[in-house]
This record gives sequence, C-alpha cells and structure tokens, in this order.
Amino acid sequence: MINLVYLVPLFPLIGFLINGLGWRKLPKAAGGIIGSIAVLASFAVSLGIFFEVKDGASQTVTLFEFIHSGKLIIPFAFQVDNLSALFLLIITGIGFLIHVYSTSYMHDDEGVVKYFAYLNLFVFSMLLLVLGANYLIMFIGWEGVGLCSYLLIGFWFKKREYTNAAKKAFVMNRIGDLGFLVGMLMVLYNFGTLTYNDFFGMLKGGNVAISSSTYNWIAICFFIGATGKSAQIPLYTWLPDAMAGPTPVSALIHAATMVTAGIYMIARSGVLYNLAPFTLNIISIIGTATALIAASIALKQYDIKKVLAYSTVSQLGFMFIAIGAGAYTTAVFHVMTHAFFKALLFLGSGSVIHAMGGEQDIRKMGGLKKHMRITQLTFLIGCLAISGFPFLSGFFSKDEILASAYANNPIIWACGVLGAMMTAFYMFRVYTLTFEGSFRGTHEQEHHLHESPAAITIPLVILAILSIIGGYVGLPEIMSEHHMLGSFLSKVVTNAESHHLEHGTEWMLMGISTVLALIMMIVGYVTNKKPNFAENKGLAKVLENKWYMDELYDAIVVRPIEAFSRFADRVIERMGIDGIVNGVGKLVKLGSDRIRMIQSGQVGFYIFVMVLGMILLFAIGIFGFIN
Amino acid sequence: MKAIIAATILGVIMMFSSILMKDKKAIITIAALLLAVLLGVNIWDVMATKKGSNFTFLFNNMILISREGLWFNMLMTGCTFLYVLLSGKDIARVGTHTAEYFALIFFILTGVYLLSSYNNLLILFIGIEILSIPQYILAGSDKKNLKSSEAALKYFLMGAFTTGILMMGVTLLYGSTGTFELTRMDFIHQSSVNGMSLAGIIFLIIAFGFKVSAAPMHTWTPDVYDGAPTPFTAFMATIVKSAAFYAFIRLFQNTFGGISNHWTIVLSIITALTLFIGNLTAVFQQSVKRMLAYSSIAQAGFMLFAILSNNAVASQGIIIYAVAYSVATIGMFAVLMKLKDYTYDGFNGLAKKEPVLAFVTTIFLLSLAGIPLTGGFMAKYFVLQAAIMQGQLFWLVIFALLMAAISAYYYFRVIIAMYFKQGNPELHEPLSSGDKFMLALTCVLVVLIGIAPQLFLASI
Amino acid sequence: MNFLLLAAEQNTPFNYLPIALQLLIAVGFVGIMMGATHLLGPKRRTKDKLINFESGIPSVGNARQPMSVKYFLVAILFVLFDVEVIFFYPYAVNFRELGQEGFLAVLMFVGFFLCGFIYILKKGALKWED
Repeated sequence: MINLVYLVPLFPLIGFLINGLGWRKLPKAAGGIIGSIAVLASFAVSLGIFFEVKDGASQTVTLFEFIHSGKLIIPFAFQVDNLSALFLLIITGIGFLIHVYSTSYMHDDEGVVKYFAYLNLFVFSMLLLVLGANYLIMFIGWEGVGLCSYLLIGFWFKKREYTNAAKKAFVMNRIGDLGFLVGMLMVLYNFGTLTYNDFFGMLKGGNVAISSSTYNWIAICFFIGATGKSAQIPLYTWLPDAMAGPTPVSALIHAATMVTAGIYMIARSGVLYNLAPFTLNIISIIGTATALIAASIALKQYDIKKVLAYSTVSQLGFMFIAIGAGAYTTAVFHVMTHAFFKALLFLGSGSVIHAMGGEQDIRKMGGLKKHMRITQLTFLIGCLAISGFPFLSGFFSKDEILASAYANNPIIWACGVLGAMMTAFYMFRVYTLTFEGSFRGTHEQEHHLHESPAAITIPLVILAILSIIGGYVGLPEIMSEHHMLGSFLSKVVTNAESHHLEHGTEWMLMGISTVLALIMMIVGYVTNKKPNFAENKGLAKVLENKWYMDELYDAIVVRPIEAFSRFADRVIERMGIDGIVNGVGKLVKLGSDRIRMIQSGQVGFYIFVMVLGMILLFAIGIFGFIN
Repeated sequence: MKAIIAATILGVIMMFSSILMKDKKAIITIAALLLAVLLGVNIWDVMATKKGSNFTFLFNNMILISREGLWFNMLMTGCTFLYVLLSGKDIARVGTHTAEYFALIFFILTGVYLLSSYNNLLILFIGIEILSIPQYILAGSDKKNLKSSEAALKYFLMGAFTTGILMMGVTLLYGSTGTFELTRMDFIHQSSVNGMSLAGIIFLIIAFGFKVSAAPMHTWTPDVYDGAPTPFTAFMATIVKSAAFYAFIRLFQNTFGGISNHWTIVLSIITALTLFIGNLTAVFQQSVKRMLAYSSIAQAGFMLFAILSNNAVASQGIIIYAVAYSVATIGMFAVLMKLKDYTYDGFNGLAKKEPVLAFVTTIFLLSLAGIPLTGGFMAKYFVLQAAIMQGQLFWLVIFALLMAAISAYYYFRVIIAMYFKQGNPELHEPLSSGDKFMLALTCVLVVLIGIAPQLFLASI
Repeated sequence: MNFLLLAAEQNTPFNYLPIALQLLIAVGFVGIMMGATHLLGPKRRTKDKLINFESGIPSVGNARQPMSVKYFLVAILFVLFDVEVIFFYPYAVNFRELGQEGFLAVLMFVGFFLCGFIYILKKGALKWED
C-alpha cells in the first residue's frame, strides 16, 4: 500500500484537471461528484497507508529524480511515516466531508465546478506539502496551498474587498515564504541536502561543524515561514480577512489544514528545533502573545465567521505554545482535535449563514435553536469541545498544552489559562447570541429559516462525533498509562526533553483550568442571554477594532512602502530603468539598421569584405603566433 | 560506407526516373521511398558497427568510418527524410525538373557522408565540392525568377573563390606536414606549430567559415537564402550547414585539437562577429525568410562554440545542435512555404485562421530562440556548457547569452504577429490533414529533443 | 654557375634562385619587347585605322548578341567527357600492373559515365533541332 502513496495526491490532481479543464462544459452537479470522489479515493488509500504505518512500516518512496545538478540531488520523493500518515488522514478525511458539504453549500453558485477544481488543487498541494520527503517538495506544496488559498478567498472576485482580502493573504504568505526559502537555502548551503533523512541524520549525528547560532538562524527562518502560513504575530491579520471566501473554504483551508502547515513543518523539523532553544523561546513568546491578542479581539466581534477566525488564530497560538515548550506531539494532537471542532464550528456557522440568507452578523440572529436543531446541537458540541469541557476532545489536547507550558514556564501557563478562559467566554457568547434568546433579524429572514439539507448536516454530525471522541487517542498520563498518539508519533517526532510534572500538580492544573473555563462558559451564556448592543467604549472599543492592528500596519508598513514604490515608479522605473531598456532597444535597432548596409547585394563588395576579414584574421593569427 | 555508395546509386536512379515518368506526384513518392531505403542503409551501417568500437579505415586510409560519424549520417538522413515528407510538394512546385532536384539532394547526401568520414584532405575537398555544386544548381532552379538566378550566380562565384582558399589551406598543410592524411598529421602530440601550418589552418577556418556562413564570410548567406527557392533554402540552411559543421569539428577537434591555442583566438573573434552580425541584422528585417537567413547565421555562431570548446561535450553538442536546429528550421520553412506572403505582415492573424499552423510555428520559433523544453534549449545548453568547460571562453558565453536575448525579439515578433494582430493570411492551398500530421510530428520531435536529448546521442 | 650547383646541395631558399632568375628574365623579356615595339613602331592615328577590322567588310550591329544555349551545352558536355576520357591515359600506362581489379574499376567508371551519356541523350541535350 505504501508504494501506492503516489495515488493519494494523484486523485485530487486528476479531479482538478477534469474540473479545471472542463469547468465551462461540465454540469454543476458533476463538479461536486468528481471532486468528492477524488478526495474519497485519496482517503481510502490514506487509510490503508495509515494502518500499514501503524504496524510499523514506514519508508521513503522515490518517484523520480527531480533535480540533479552537480552534487545536489533532489529526488521527487514521498516520506511515508507516522507523522505524514496522520496528516494524510486529517486532510483527506476532513477534506472529503467538506467537499460533500460544499456540494450543497455551493449548489447555486455559477462557478461551482471551478470551485471544486480549486478545492481539489488545494487538497493536492496540501498532500504534497505533507508527503514531500524534502523541504523542496514541501515548499512546492507550501506555495501551492498559498495559491489555492488566494484563489478561494477571492472566489467571489466580483466584490472588490474580497479580492483585496485575497491579495492580503497572498502577500502576507509570501513574506513568510521568503523566510522559509531563506531557511531552505541556508540548510542547502550548510548541509548540502534538503532531504529530511539526510539532514536530520546529520543533526542527530552531531558531527557537523556548525555553530549553534546557525541552527537558530535556520530555525528562525523556518519559523518566519510558519508565522505566515499559520497566522502568528506579526503576520496574522490576513486570516480574519480570509473569511471573505466561501465558508467551507474557511473550514478546510483556514481552520483544519493549511494554517496548520506551519505546525507540521516545525514538528517535522523537531530535531532542528531541539538544537535551537533560543528559537523555541521566541516561539513561546509569539505563540502566547498571539493566543491572547486574538482571543481578546474575538471577545468583541459581531461577525460570526470573524469570531471563529480569531479563535483559529488564538488556537494556533496555543499550538505554538506547545511547540515552544518542545512538545511537538502535543501540538500535533491539538492540530488534530482543532481540525475536528473548528471545521465543525465553521461548517455550523456556514449552515447558519445559509439559513439566514447570507447574513453573518450575530446581532441580527438569535433563537435559531427552534429552527435548526441539528446545527444547534453540533455547534454546541463544537463550542464545548473548544472551550475545554471535560472529556471532549479539546479538553485533552488543551490540557496537555497547558501542562507542557507549565513545565516550561508557569507565566506562559497563566497566560494560556487566561486565553482558555476568553475562549470559553467568546464561544458561548457566539453560541448564545446565535441560537438562544429571540430572533432579532427581519421578518422575511425569520420566515425563511430552515434546517440545512442532509449534505450539510451529515458532515456536521460526523465532525461532532469526532469532536467528542477525538481526544481519547491522547489521554493524559494521569488517566491512562498509554498515550496512543504520543507513542504513535514518537517514532518520527522527538520532543525536547522537559522535566516531568508530578501527578498531583497535573491534577491541580487540570482542575484549575477546567473550573475557570466552566465558569466562563456560564458567564458567556448568562451575559448574552438578553443581549444589549450598546456602543462599545474604552477597551471594548479597542477590541472591537482589533487593537487597531490593521491601521497600525497600514501606517508603519503599507504607507511607507507605497510612498517608496511611487518613488520607484516615477523616478527609478520610468526615468532610469525604462530609459536604459528602451535605450538598449533603440541602440539594437539602430545598429541593425547600420549593419544591414553591409548587405549591398554587390558580389564584388562581398568578396572585398571577406578578403578584408581574412587579412585581419591572418594578422591576428600571425600576431598570436609570434608572441 | 554502404551509405556512400547507396546514396550515389540512388541519386542516379532518381535522375533516370525523370526519363521514365512525368507525373510529379509519382516522382515525389519515389524520392520518399528511395530516401527511406537510404535511411535503412544508414541504420544498417550503424547497426553493423558496435558501440564504442574502433575506427575502420578504407581506401588506403582515405576514409575513416566511426560509429559517431555513421550516427550523424543517420540523423541527417532522417532529417532529410522528414524534410522531403514535409516539403515534397513544394519542391515539385519550384520548376519542371522535379526528379533532378531530388537527385541533387541525393548527391548532396553523398557529400554529407564523405564529410562525416574523410581522413584525407583531398576527400574533404571532394566532399565539400560534392556538397556545394548541387547547391549552386538548386539555388538557381527557379530559372524564370531573376532573384533565384542571381542567388545561384552569387553563390557560385563566392563559392568558387572559397574553393580556392580551401585548396590553398590544404596545399599549405601538405607543404608543412608532407601528407594529406589526417591521422598521420602529427599535431596532436606537438604543442608548437610552424607558420606554414598555421597559415594553412587559418585558410581552412576561412573556407569552413564560408560554408557555415560565419562572419565576415557570411555575406552571401542572406542574398542566397532569400533568393533561392524556399524549399531549397530550407535544405541548404539545415542539413548542408550541419554537415559542414560536422566536417569542421572533426578536422579541428581531432587533428588540430592539440594546437588549439593557436587558432582559438581567430575562431573566437569569428564567433563573436557571427553572433553579433547575425542577431543584430535580423532585428531589422521585414521578410521572415530573410530573417531566417540571418537567424541561421546567428545559430551558426552558437555552433561555432562547439568547435571552439574542443572537448567531448562539444562533439555531442554539435550533433544535438545539428538535429535540433535542422528539425526546427525545416519545420519553420515548411510553414513558410504554405504562406503566400513572406513578410511579418503575412503572418498576421494566422492563429485565428489556422490554429494548428500557428501553434507549430510557435514551437519551432521557441526552439530556435532556445526556450526550455524545446530542442533548441538543449542544443544551446550543450554547446555553452562545453564552452564553459573549456575554461577560457566565459566572456564569449556571456556575449552569446546577450545575443540570444536579442534573438528572442525577432523570433517572438512572428508569434506576436500570429496571435495578437489582425489579418487574413493567404495560403497556397488549405492545409491537408497529412500536412498537419507531419507538422505535428516535427513539433513532437522538437520537444522530444528538448526533453530527452540523450535519445539522440544514445548510440555513440 | 658553380655557386648555384653548390647551393642546390643544401636545402635552403637559395635553391629557388634559378627559378627567380628565370622569372626575372621571362618578365623582363616580355616587358622589353613590348616596350620596344611601342616605342619603335610607326604610328598614324586616323579614324579608319581605329575601327574594328572585319575582313575588309564594314561592321554591322553589336557583337554582344544572345546566342542559343545549345552551343554552351554542347561545349560543356564536350569538356566533361573529354576530361573523363583523360583518365584513360594513366590507366593505359598502368594497364598491366593493375590487372583484373583495375579493369573492373575502369569498367565501373565507364559504366558511370555511360549512364551520364544515356541521361543527356534521353534528356535531349544533344538534339540540335527543337
């Protein structure tokens, strides 16, 4: 089965080609069917691979030699091991559910076939990212997902602000990508290879004469790449704007898969990061800050998808906290559970938006519980899971993160608990405003309210079940002797060594965070039961305006760059470069015009030129001979 | 060896076929069949020698049969076959003596075979004459056309002049070494050289330079290529030129390679001049046919790198270059022959009217410009790599790359005319599906050379 | 002339001295003779003296008129076959030594140009009347 790994990305690629080439001709329904089947087929193969890997098989499958230049050999190879097998399952599994969901959600859209083409292309790129056996293949996938994200955010390209959001996402990602690229080149320069096995082998071997600052630089460069893709400070502002895309896209790309690419990359490079403790500290700080700031912004947002978006940023911050503590498996664990419940929440919000006829403002919702029971129930499960309600998936993974953070540094733990409290609060705020209380929208909207069709609700139910049970693969040490996910991943991912917490401490930490979260859930529920949308003042206003982050970036980055580029355009480009380029062109044409005069048509003249040339050549030849 | 005899006899048969039959179509068919036979003989020749086997000497060491030479013969015969299949109809359209034209092509091939296997300066001389004289006739074959006659006369006059120079070079070399036999000329082992030999070598450079249209001996090229009937221009610019290059590199790499430091400077000046004049002059042309004439000068500049670099990669490079350039140019001329108007304006709007034709033209032009994934790229890659390996030609490589950038201008002008300009190009006759198939095949070949150049070097 | 013979025994450019002398004498002789006639001969430049002499008949029209290509054709074919026939001389001299193989080779040679001959005959190159 492992040898068939190329099939996994191949199916979505075929789906992309069919849908992409035939999007004008294919009937609307066909696009969804082709897209879904392609991903389902991938999922089936992934499942087979997963079980083989679980039994201990893992190998590198080389398809062909991609680049061979001098000493540098980069094969087009896939790395099939525990880490990538897990990600394969997440990507294709959730990807399939979201494809199914989309068939209904995007049903009326004109470009639905094109949409599925992009979606398939995304899945293909994401699989490439995860499967690649060297950084270059990962980078190809990395760029591919960036492209698809751009295409899908701007899918409704007729709206100006949507395309702007797409551009913003693309540019910010590119900034991160540059970091990744520089890191890759540094690896190549210092180690002469990009293949994981060789690179990590050298690192583990330890007989490389490279200073620890080099490790840190490489690690920081990679981390910059990760901040772009995984929306960390300072490159996080694109993710909330990315909600302009269709909701299933937000669920797939901007919650479950693409944004976790940064986590995957660092987890994959764990060996490197263990050698760069300084970078791990930076990651801790940035992760903590992101978790807190994003959570605080989410407290005061009114757009249902924006809340979820900031929540995603915040949760990604939590994952980086785990990484900063060197607990890569914990981060991956949270990636998995987060993929379940955040996809669920996004899809649920999509169902709501669908029912509300495109309305996303939670101030105009309320009391939807009566009309859409399944959506409400599953959404509630999602909220409980993300808030860390005991024994749901989020509880275990978040608890593990917090435990690792405590072992690393209690201050980070405290910040994490604060973040978790805010999470519980804003999630229940959203839930209550949406589903509880009485309806605040127009009469027409109320009349129109309905439960979504099966293609939407079935994925919701499946994801809800996963959100409930997904955590049991990673029971903490105090509850179970065997951390299934941890031992599964440990073959590939080496966590940094950390001091163990005593069981008592762990129980205590868990108790504190759980109780606080429960309190905040109740607070969130109660305060929003009878909402009052007075204008925000003070801190609340700052939060509503996202800490004025966009304005800040605009002032310190965008405007100076614009000014510079205006200067470059008017002075450097038009006068300098254009002048040179056009000058060269004119010179060539002029020269051409002169030289063609040699071609007079007179044989006598031709022979004269030839003889003249001969004499010159002889002179040169003989001159060289004498010397 | 078998091929040399076969080409001669088949040429004679071709000649007599004009007496036996008058139908042009039948003659084209016979020509294609005989060429297929010749190709078969060539393949047989290649099969008969083992890979990596030693040379065989024939006729008192006058002829040297090598695997590489036979392989080159086979490729060139293949190109000729392709050329006849693509342009047979156009050859027949030139004048009344169709069978003779084909016969002359067979005789030219005899010359090609001699040039790939000579081991004696006299055979070189005879080979070049056998190669050239039929060309003089072919250039003037459109007797009623003044430009054609002019081309033939010019070519003949200047060719005769160069024959004298070639003979002079041969004489001087004989004078200084006492032999015509290349394998007995002892340049390989000695690093010094006497003045008479050097003068002879420079004479030979000039004579070869004329045949491959290197500046400043290129002056005949635009007038002759432009004036000669288009189908024969296609042949002269490709197979004949490649053969001359192959003869050139054989002599200069195998025999004069040891004393390359004495002639490299002369040849590198010729190369630079050729690249410069060929590319720059092509920019201003208004006729695509004339532009292709200059482009063939420019391409010769690149092929000269192979001779300059004087190493193993270069001798592979020249073969790849010969094939890639020949196939693309044959295709390009085949397209040109379909059109009535040879100016750039004649191509306006071709993409709308004949999308297939426009597409294949684009591929051919991309290959000529040396864009990756086409044969032209690989060809340039090989020769420039060889030049870099030689070590002292870096400045020339940079210069060549600059010139290649200029070349993109005039090649892309055609593409722009076809795709982005409005117009109604006139064709001689609507494209038959056979034409389309052949053009597509040529296209595939161009791409194949670009993707898997090793296929074309496999058997050396 | 003793010193010339002496020099000939060595391989120097000096060997070419006799040739140079010969050249000098030849050119000098021609030059002197032409110059002498030019100087010594009587000259009377009248109009009648300067017109082209055509057997005493007054000249008519331009001499540069196109004439039938057949003259050239025949002439060129003559030269061609004539040159080919010249190859028989060396063969005739070495007839015995070359033996049977030589005979076959010459037979092939003759065969080839017989082909050419048949070709030009069939093509009508030697047909004088149209």
